[in-house]
Amino acid sequence: MCGSLLLACTAILFPMASAQVPKDRKNVLMLYWDNKDIPGNISFDLGFLAGMRSEPRDNWEVYNEYLDSSRFPGKHQNEILYDYLRQKYEGSSIDVIVATPDPSVEFLLKHRSDLFPNSPIVFVAVKRPPPEILAAGPGITGIIRANTHRKTLDLALALHPDTEQVFVVSGTPELDKRFEIVARQELSAYENRVRITYLTDLPLNELIAKTASLPKHSIILYVWQRLGGDQSQLQTHEVLELIARSASAPIYGMGSRNVGYGLVGGYVQDSEQNGIEVAQLVRRILNGTRASDIPVDSAPSALMFDWRQLQRWGLSENKLPNSSIVKFKELTFWQQYKLRILLVAALFAVQTALIAFLLIERKRRQRAREALDRLNAELEERIAARTAALNAKSRELETFAYSVAHDLKAPLRGIDGYSRLLLEDHLAGLNDEGREFLKTIHSSSGEMSQLIDDLLEYSRLERRELKSDYVELGPLIKSVVEQKKREAAETSIDFVVDVNGGSIVADPNGLTQSLRNYLDNAVKFTEKVSHPRIEVGSKELAEKFLVWVRDNGVGFDMKYHDRIFDIFQRLNTSEQYPGSGIGLAIVRKAMERMGGKAWAQSQPGQGATFYLEIPKQSTQVN
Amino acid sequence: MNEEPSPILIVEDRLSDLDLTKRAFARRRILNPILEARDGEEALAYIGKWEAGERRPVCILLDLGLPKISGLEVLRQYKSRPISSTIPVIVLTTSADDQDIAEAYKLGCNSYIVKPVEFDNFMEVASHIEVYWCALNTAPR
Repeated sequence: MCGSLLLACTAILFPMASAQVPKDRKNVLMLYWDNKDIPGNISFDLGFLAGMRSEPRDNWEVYNEYLDSSRFPGKHQNEILYDYLRQKYEGSSIDVIVATPDPSVEFLLKHRSDLFPNSPIVFVAVKRPPPEILAAGPGITGIIRANTHRKTLDLALALHPDTEQVFVVSGTPELDKRFEIVARQELSAYENRVRITYLTDLPLNELIAKTASLPKHSIILYVWQRLGGDQSQLQTHEVLELIARSASAPIYGMGSRNVGYGLVGGYVQDSEQNGIEVAQLVRRILNGTRASDIPVDSAPSALMFDWRQLQRWGLSENKLPNSSIVKFKELTFWQQYKLRILLVAALFAVQTALIAFLLIERKRRQRAREALDRLNAELEERIAARTAALNAKSRELETFAYSVAHDLKAPLRGIDGYSRLLLEDHLAGLNDEGREFLKTIHSSSGEMSQLIDDLLEYSRLERRELKSDYVELGPLIKSVVEQKKREAAETSIDFVVDVNGGSIVADPNGLTQSLRNYLDNAVKFTEKVSHPRIEVGSKELAEKFLVWVRDNGVGFDMKYHDRIFDIFQRLNTSEQYPGSGIGLAIVRKAMERMGGKAWAQSQPGQGATFYLEIPKQSTQVN
Repeated sequence: MNEEPSPILIVEDRLSDLDLTKRAFARRRILNPILEARDGEEALAYIGKWEAGERRPVCILLDLGLPKISGLEVLRQYKSRPISSTIPVIVLTTSADDQDIAEAYKLGCNSYIVKPVEFDNFMEVASHIEVYWCALNTAPR
């Protein structure tokens, strides 16, 4: 058994006696084997505290003590620790003592009557204390850590049915041999089935070399192995990690702490889980249950595997027992990102569909556009052809009108000429009535001549090409008015010109013609008023010029304001005011060809104002 | 002047116009004898006569709207033949068409006059023609 124990220097330093302890506070003493830094103790502590805190109760205090026999071996350590604990806890009340693992339990039971005669004990151990001890004094309860060597080896042999040799790694330092002893007991039954070799107390290098070159059909059972001493001591899982890298056979083991460092798997016990279990027992005792009334239970063990090692040794997950827990499973890319992959794929699909749709749509639109373009082109061709035909027809008509007007003049000359000759040379042979007839013939032919001239002018306007010249509006208006003034010198018309200068691009002939016709009109219709007056003005607007000719003549009814610009439309008889009814039509046509406008405003008896609207940049309008 | 003045050739299809022109000249006491041609063919026939030694006119009054051969064609031929190319040709026509005017000048007419309708004005034109082309103007011999 455990021969020597060592006093833990890291224990709580203040003496219990001097501590100010509230009356209802419960005290729990933890008695660990080994120091506080070993992984098993840390896990157990974590689990224990978590279990204690699972139901809030602040009135308990935990005191930790460590036997630490690995680092302080020696025969008298046992007595030293005994003295230490006795002095430290003398006079204090410990409500429960937790001891783990077996060496601690053994130490405690040995000194219980002297140290803590009234404290119930909760233990975690491999070895079950005999019933008389369990019932003695304030009672003992706890959990038994069943050895899982056999179960684990059974598992390994099932997974590797052709196994011929089993190598058991355990040993150093001295105390660890306990584990080998247990292992030997456990595994002795297998000696007939497989050859079992104990790799005990081998130095690290040798251990690594040995495990790296094991014969075929071997497996390793990793029990316990710590190396070195003091500060540089390698923990058991660290040793495992070192040999597992190069091991030529799969490694099985029983420590949950070792899963993840190279174990394939095994029935493992978990110190943290044990800690939680123990905490439940402690709380029951603190709440009043007698320890001896709580049956001793088995510590939970789990069948655990390292997924990476399963892969390494080619073991299928399907072969594992149903209750297996597989840890460190590396999810496949699919498993890891399934949702995201699906999402991205869906997105991609949607996007692709969308792009395809857009491409198809674009193609369709392109086709439609092409069809439309073709139609447009055809339409334009047809329009162009028809326009050309129309233009030709129109020119033909104009030419026809022009030649008709022309040819009409020739006989007119005969009528006029001979009626004059008759009047001059044969006057004596005519009576008054005959002379009157001849005068009528003469004046009619004059009228007709004027009509033909106006018609010719009108049709010439159509035939003539429109010019786009730079025109100074002021001088042009003034010169046209001056000329009219001279022509009308015999009349008493008062001409008033008030025009603002300004230059435009327009057809000067059309402009002159329009203005002249307006003036002719004004002269004609002021003939019969007492103080005839004609005003000519202009005004510059944003894009155009406005020119007007205002008279104080007879005026007209506004209901005729548009009609007077139509060809052959007259408001008076030719006896009242002679005229062909073409003059204003010429004006309107000339202005329209320049992109301008012509209109008039009047009231009967109030005179009339005739307007020209000329764009500054006139464009030919067909 | 003992010598009879050179004739004036009037190319005119319209009898009334021809008659009126002659009367107008007579009223203005124009003594030049009047030669007549009633269509394009007759007008061109004079070229042969002149080449044969007949007396050439002092000027030609040429109408444009002629039967058979157009006035412009007659003008072109007159101006392209040496015997007639130096005779002043006065186009006297009803047409005031810009194209006709331009074409006539291009072919070498010496004057272009639109026939007035009114008799008085016509008289005046005839008078001006006589004064200008028969009296003032010196044509090559």
